[in-house]
Amino acid sequence: MLKEVTQEEFRQEVDKGLVLADFFSSTCGPCKMLSFVLNDVDKTCGDKVNILKVDFDKNKELVEEYEVSGYPTLILMRDGVELKRTTGLQQKPVIIKMIEDEA
Amino acid sequence: MSDKISYSFSESLIKRQAEAEKQMLAEWKSGEYTLEKPLIKLNPYLINPLAAVVLFTTEEETAITMTVYGKEERGNIVHTFPRAKEHVLPVLGLYADCENRVELRAYEGRAHEITIKTEPLSGDAPKLCYMKTEPEYTSQDLIFVTPSLNALATGFDYRGDVRWHLTVPVVFDLKRLKNGNFLIGTERVLQMPYYMSGLYEMTMAGKIVKEYSIPGGYHHDQWEMENGDILVLSEDPDYVTVEDVIVLLDRETGKIKKRWDLKDCLTPGEGPSGGYTDRDWFHNNALWYDKNTDSITLSGRHTDSLINIDYETGKLNWILGDPETWPEEKLKYFFKPVGEGDFDWPYEQHACLVTPNGDVMCFDNGHYRSKIREKFRLNKDNFSRGVLYRINKENMTIEQLWQYGKERGEEFFSSYIGNVEYYGEGHYLVHSGGIQYYGEHASEKPAALMKDDPNVRAESITVEVLDGKVIMEMKIEGNFYRAEKLPLYHDQDNLPLGEGIRLGEMGVTPEFDTLIPMEPCGELLSYRYEAQIIEEEDRFTFKAIFEGGQLVMLMLENGEEEHGYFISTAKNKFNALCCGTFIENDPRSITLSVNKAGLKGTFDVRVIVDDKKYDTGIQIRCE
Repeated sequence: MLKEVTQEEFRQEVDKGLVLADFFSSTCGPCKMLSFVLNDVDKTCGDKVNILKVDFDKNKELVEEYEVSGYPTLILMRDGVELKRTTGLQQKPVIIKMIEDEA
Repeated sequence: MSDKISYSFSESLIKRQAEAEKQMLAEWKSGEYTLEKPLIKLNPYLINPLAAVVLFTTEEETAITMTVYGKEERGNIVHTFPRAKEHVLPVLGLYADCENRVELRAYEGRAHEITIKTEPLSGDAPKLCYMKTEPEYTSQDLIFVTPSLNALATGFDYRGDVRWHLTVPVVFDLKRLKNGNFLIGTERVLQMPYYMSGLYEMTMAGKIVKEYSIPGGYHHDQWEMENGDILVLSEDPDYVTVEDVIVLLDRETGKIKKRWDLKDCLTPGEGPSGGYTDRDWFHNNALWYDKNTDSITLSGRHTDSLINIDYETGKLNWILGDPETWPEEKLKYFFKPVGEGDFDWPYEQHACLVTPNGDVMCFDNGHYRSKIREKFRLNKDNFSRGVLYRINKENMTIEQLWQYGKERGEEFFSSYIGNVEYYGEGHYLVHSGGIQYYGEHASEKPAALMKDDPNVRAESITVEVLDGKVIMEMKIEGNFYRAEKLPLYHDQDNLPLGEGIRLGEMGVTPEFDTLIPMEPCGELLSYRYEAQIIEEEDRFTFKAIFEGGQLVMLMLENGEEEHGYFISTAKNKFNALCCGTFIENDPRSITLSVNKAGLKGTFDVRVIVDDKKYDTGIQIRCE
């Protein structure tokens, strides 16, 4: 499942199994492209991972808490514990491998 | 508004040179040119305005000694060409904006002086600040520098006069080959910021003898093997990670004969330097093949270390660098410092070499001078140096035997690029090519990203040291990737005639896996994007200006067949800019090259900008 979340929603969801957090900005071209990629990823393995999109500019507390220094940043977590992190635009096979390695 | 975006076709340099040479030779053959009245062609290969060719015939086979007169006798450049009746002789080492005097003297025979008038150099030649040499310093060698910013490859003589200059941005290392030609990176960018299509084998007159195209491109450094094959720093053609692949090119065919991927012997993220990124995790900026150990030494800027791998197996032999932050299982590969003298590890170093007795040298940029973020040193408090280490692989110890530059501090500090050269025991060249000031102090940000900022000052200092004494010091404006000391002429064929040969292949440009589902809007891409397409025989390049944050994808479409190439409009697209020559002044500028390899048919070029897919009015045909 893929959805954009608020800080509160993020906190409610992040502890529930495998979560891929996408810290994005609406002022960033690679972030816009990544959203198309994540749509595709969701179609392929949406049953294995919950994809939460976090607006970097609107959720500064989460940005600080997760030490996100730029966007787009993807953080794969299980039950709230960070497993992997990538920065910059990633292609679909890279993200799918990252998820399937941990699924 | 025009009905389509700007389009041009650019013939390859090798073809344009071939045409120019053909015309020159035809003119010579159609006339009666003698020693006293030769045909003179200035800049015969279109890219070296300080070279000429003189063509004439003698009745008997005779050797010709050419003297290009210097501003003083010491500056004369003299070369004797072998016996011939038909003479096609390159004239090298002319001064710009000058009536150059050149003497042609037949063996035991007559001499004739000709005059060659040259034009002033354009703004792409570097400006000399000073050149200091000892009176006994050689006058036949030039100090060649290669570009890192806007100024282009240039050769300075012992006085600091420019005697050689190329007007195309060929880049990275200029390395002389056993046949007297040299290898240098092409001016054709495969992927920004500096992944080039391959290498040119070129004469000093600027003639391209061979062009090698490499699917993963070329960057930083190359090495001629004993059999003539060429080791090249390259990368995976998909560019997921960069600067971590080495290929061996067959000299005659340009095909890849062997390949090493550094991910096979190191794990990305181990021992990261201050400039580390996930993509550019190693940042391989030099290679050196050592016949004695059949191994390759490499300089990984983003691991703060030199590594040595076995040529046959690619297995890791040793790591020279600060072991801090490296994982336990890699520590056995590191050396332990011994000796009483000063000792520093290299940080974000460049240009490794192995001396004939197995010592290891590099240009230690010293950038950050720590692997721990909290201990990072500011550039203004830092130093760079040439350094020589003696390593003992039996007991894994290392001793620092020599260094130059530490004592000069900030004034000699280059956060990037630079090199050392070995000319014999105690005789070295140290090139601090990336000195950058912002106002009063060393800049903390690359000058390539601040090209129009008046507070930025870029400089390059090259020093030659003999037995502890500086015998040459040159300072020029701008940054220069490397410096090499070479004579212009050599004792083999200085001007092989005939059309240059294109070898190897460009490879398939990686596409973006995910396409943006969108129909063409039926509108042309607006003129405000200043878009242009430059087509070449084997690829085309799309240039435009987009605002930061726009979603942009170039599309090639032929019916149902679609190919998408994502274009980043991120504000900070590049770091570790060892060559910022191709970075446009306008940070909104984008450049994307697409190779025709792997494509077949005629494609409409369209561009997605945010929520619309625009036509360009341009079609590209791929055979």
